[in-house]
Amino acid sequence: MSVNPMTYEAQFFGFTPQTCMLRVYIAFQDYLFEMMLVVEGVMLKKLDGIPGCKISPSKIRKCTEKFLLFMKEHFDKLFSKMEEVLLQLVLNIPKNVLLPEDKVQEQYPYSEEEFQALQDELQQLQQQCRAEAVLEQELRAELEEQKAVKAELEKILQCFDGLENICREHGAGNFKESFAFLTQSSKKLQDVLKDVEEKSKKMNQHDQLM
Amino acid sequence: ADGRDGPALAAAPGRAQVFSTVVDTFLEKLVAAGSYQRFVSCYRCFYKLQPQLTRSIYDQFISQLQASIKEEIQEVKNEGNLEGLFSLLDKIVEEAKDREEPAWRPSGVPARDVRSALVPFLLRHRAHLRRALQERQERSSSLAEAVLAGRDSIAELQQLIQARQQAWQ
Repeated sequence: MSVNPMTYEAQFFGFTPQTCMLRVYIAFQDYLFEMMLVVEGVMLKKLDGIPGCKISPSKIRKCTEKFLLFMKEHFDKLFSKMEEVLLQLVLNIPKNVLLPEDKVQEQYPYSEEEFQALQDELQQLQQQCRAEAVLEQELRAELEEQKAVKAELEKILQCFDGLENICREHGAGNFKESFAFLTQSSKKLQDVLKDVEEKSKKMNQHDQLM
Repeated sequence: ADGRDGPALAAAPGRAQVFSTVVDTFLEKLVAAGSYQRFVSCYRCFYKLQPQLTRSIYDQFISQLQASIKEEIQEVKNEGNLEGLFSLLDKIVEEAKDREEPAWRPSGVPARDVRSALVPFLLRHRAHLRRALQERQERSSSLAEAVLAGRDSIAELQQLIQARQQAWQ
């Protein structure tokens, strides 16, 4: 016969029902014995005070044992019945009842695989977040660079615009064209100079050979 | 018991009530078994000598025994907060009354049982991560747009500068 350990009841009550019953049984039994000893003691004391008494203490002891035996028998039977009722009706949790603290067990009956899948999904999400963070950093870095580059380029444009404004202010009209003409001319001059240099070098060489 | 109005049928007694009744019944029957007649028949010699004292001893014995037993029961009830637990259990059982299938019970393997307890936290964490990821992705995508726009405007500026350069050649 297997004994029902009543662990679910223990979870709820904080003690095992059978343990509770045992504690109560022992306490009751102790009281019974105690009371009987008191009864005996009172009687013995009384008899002590009666001279020439024919009732010996051992006789009283026999009476006590008789009464106690009788009481114990009934006590055990009655207690056993009480225990049965208490364990079945009071200190028990019916099979169809789920304690509120265990609600999650029926709300989320995850198998080991499902649980593992959930954990894997979490890991993957975390990795994705980290990757996005890295990407964000790179994008921000480029934006900073772009800002600097744009500032430089705009400065250069401003230079050019500045030049044009100066020309316009000083009424130099087609300063641009004259400037362009100048740069062309100076380039031509440079070419001519180079030519001359080369020619004179050749002439010197020719003179030397002569 | 809580005030229940309704049909004439009495509500089923709660656990606290049953507990009290069962203990009272136990005491009643014990006292009935340990009757004065029985006491006297065991202590006949003393009874013959001191009938009144016998009665008084018996009365004290019975009342003291009852008092001790009741005290013990009260102590057990107080220590374990039984009254509260009984009414709570009554409520829980009442709420489950329409349910027929056996409920979940601990498997005895804590590692297995704790899974379901952890799931709500994991689900919440997952929702949080999904939200965070979406936010980050939105941020990255708008940053990427800004970067591309920036590249375009830099290219524009470079073109403008080139045009000026050529105009000044």
